[in-house]
Amino acid sequence: MTRERFILHMNVADFAVAAERIQDAGLAEKPLIISPLQAARAVVYDMSEEAYGDGVRKGMALREAARLCRRAQILPPRFELYHKVMHAFVREAQMFSPLLESGNGDGHLFLDITGTHRLIGAPPDVGWRLRKQAQQKIGIDPIWSVAANKLVAKVASRLVKPAGEYFVSPGEEASFLAPLSVRLLPGIDSQEMARLNEFNITQVGQLATLDHAQLFSVFGKRGETLHNISHGVDQERIRPYCRHRDRVVREHHVLADDTAEKRVIEGIVTALAVRIGMKLRTDQLVGRRLALQLNYSDGSLVVRQASVKHGVSDEDTLRTLALLALERAWNRRTRVRSCILTCSRLHAASRQLTLFAATDKKQQRQQRLMAAMDLVRKQFGVDSLRFASQAWLQ
Amino acid sequence: METVRYETSEVCTFSAGQGAACRCLIGTSGYSYVEWIDSGFYPAGTKSSAMLALYGRHFSVVELNYTWYQMARVEPLRRMADAAPDHLLFAAKLTRTMTHERDHDWRDQLQQYRKGIAPLADKLLAVLVQLPPDFDRTINNRHFLAELLDRLAGLPIAVEFRHASWAVDSVFAELERRKVTLVTVDEPDIAGLFPCLDVVTNPELFYVRFHGRNKKGWLSGNMQKKFDYNYQQHELQQWCDKHLLQIARQATRGILFFNNHVGAQAPRNAQVLAQVIKQSASLRKS
Repeated sequence: MTRERFILHMNVADFAVAAERIQDAGLAEKPLIISPLQAARAVVYDMSEEAYGDGVRKGMALREAARLCRRAQILPPRFELYHKVMHAFVREAQMFSPLLESGNGDGHLFLDITGTHRLIGAPPDVGWRLRKQAQQKIGIDPIWSVAANKLVAKVASRLVKPAGEYFVSPGEEASFLAPLSVRLLPGIDSQEMARLNEFNITQVGQLATLDHAQLFSVFGKRGETLHNISHGVDQERIRPYCRHRDRVVREHHVLADDTAEKRVIEGIVTALAVRIGMKLRTDQLVGRRLALQLNYSDGSLVVRQASVKHGVSDEDTLRTLALLALERAWNRRTRVRSCILTCSRLHAASRQLTLFAATDKKQQRQQRLMAAMDLVRKQFGVDSLRFASQAWLQ
Repeated sequence: METVRYETSEVCTFSAGQGAACRCLIGTSGYSYVEWIDSGFYPAGTKSSAMLALYGRHFSVVELNYTWYQMARVEPLRRMADAAPDHLLFAAKLTRTMTHERDHDWRDQLQQYRKGIAPLADKLLAVLVQLPPDFDRTINNRHFLAELLDRLAGLPIAVEFRHASWAVDSVFAELERRKVTLVTVDEPDIAGLFPCLDVVTNPELFYVRFHGRNKKGWLSGNMQKKFDYNYQQHELQQWCDKHLLQIARQATRGILFFNNHVGAQAPRNAQVLAQVIKQSASLRKS
């Protein structure tokens, strides 16, 4: 017998602005725009409700946004701060459910609170209490909604934004969605939205009246998804939270003179891998994927990846992976202007000791060598010890 | 899991001496608890959408407490009222943004609330204004309450105080003048809490809330502990003898709600109370 699900969606509206206001209470109720100031063609990353009221939107060119809201204070984004606030929010939420999913550090949280009623109480009470804790302990004021699945919970949050709460009883998904605009539904792209407009379908209820065959004839395979969405059916599970999953470690090198000489680029990529390894080991993280981006002098770019099954942070493996990505990327004769190496799919390094002592003497030696190199680099700088391939670098 | 069947009716006509008989309706604070499936009140596999109809087989009145958590909205309440059994009557809590977490725009919210509960129409027996424990009888709070009651005029209002400072004759007189029901509470014996009184301020309706007597749980701040209490039959009998006789003499109708929802103790205790009242009434007749 399947148990009814209860999904709690928490959403901090204008999350970056909320995080900045925690740091500086003087920013409260003032129009704010978050955008990288140094970028040549900067766009709006986030804005406060006050700036939104003046017409500022996410993704809008900063110049245009500043013209629309002249009184706005413009701040550069501080992703580390947002990550920290988000992690604090997750820590509060973890007291209510071990099964939670966070967005990309954007103030969204989904908690599966199915079956927790005896321990922590009824779903609306959980939403109310978590909001209260977030207000008191972190200083953020999230919207909350409870529904039988992520889709309906998200729509309910959108409905009450920028503040409020909504509880959709299980079984009421379709009747709740029916009178709403199709624009509130997540998962419909702009082309599909335009097609719905052509058919003069503006409400979810109108979309829900179409059968599978009608939807298939217009939207093909996507018709099935649209049918489910319009009826509030969503089987998607909560993806368990991992603090480091959305985090990446990135290193960047811009050449003084553009070059097409491979051994120079190999040296640069090695140096970037060494830096990434140092960062990972310092933060006690391991990564599973390296992506190398080569930016060419003609403005084009190539990105290639290399990955391993288990997380790594040792220099040898990272260098091997980075050079493998370079092999895959090296298919043009055009001069390279800059290289970006990104390590992703991070997770915490295991602190579990092995049951048996390592028997591989070479591996043991390698580990001791790396530990010694890390000590030297920490004291004298990361470039104090180099691989031979870095000899081509200035 | 074995399903417990509840057979007793919860509507009791109670003649407390002289005057007209008082009709008592007994129910629970809230009805949509998944926990009540595990506890056997609802049959295994009951869906949320089926709970109100099943509840209606046992009770004729329910207190809606979800309107405390979120603003009353027309569409969901209309759907609920349409799906409810015809005989079922309602009391609805006022939203927390007008009591416990008062917003600067509470007057606008009150208008929204009035519109939101409109689908309940003549099935609405009372709007419950539950005031927080720290809401004491200061000048400001008195002014706020007076304005709140003014703005709720036209609706059947019941006020539940948690702070003992409101237990004074002048407050009761003002409620009486306004025909606002003072809620009688049964709760743990804790200093500073509003006491259990036999005062009836509205002859058309009295309103009783049984919160349980779990003193330790009440002080813990944990809802699952706060309302975890199982009334024994003799406790309910004593309560009836001591309070209900007095209260029922002064009103023509009364509603009694059990708020000790943990482990489905509320519906079980409501059934027991109905039996106790019926037995008391038949004893008095004989």
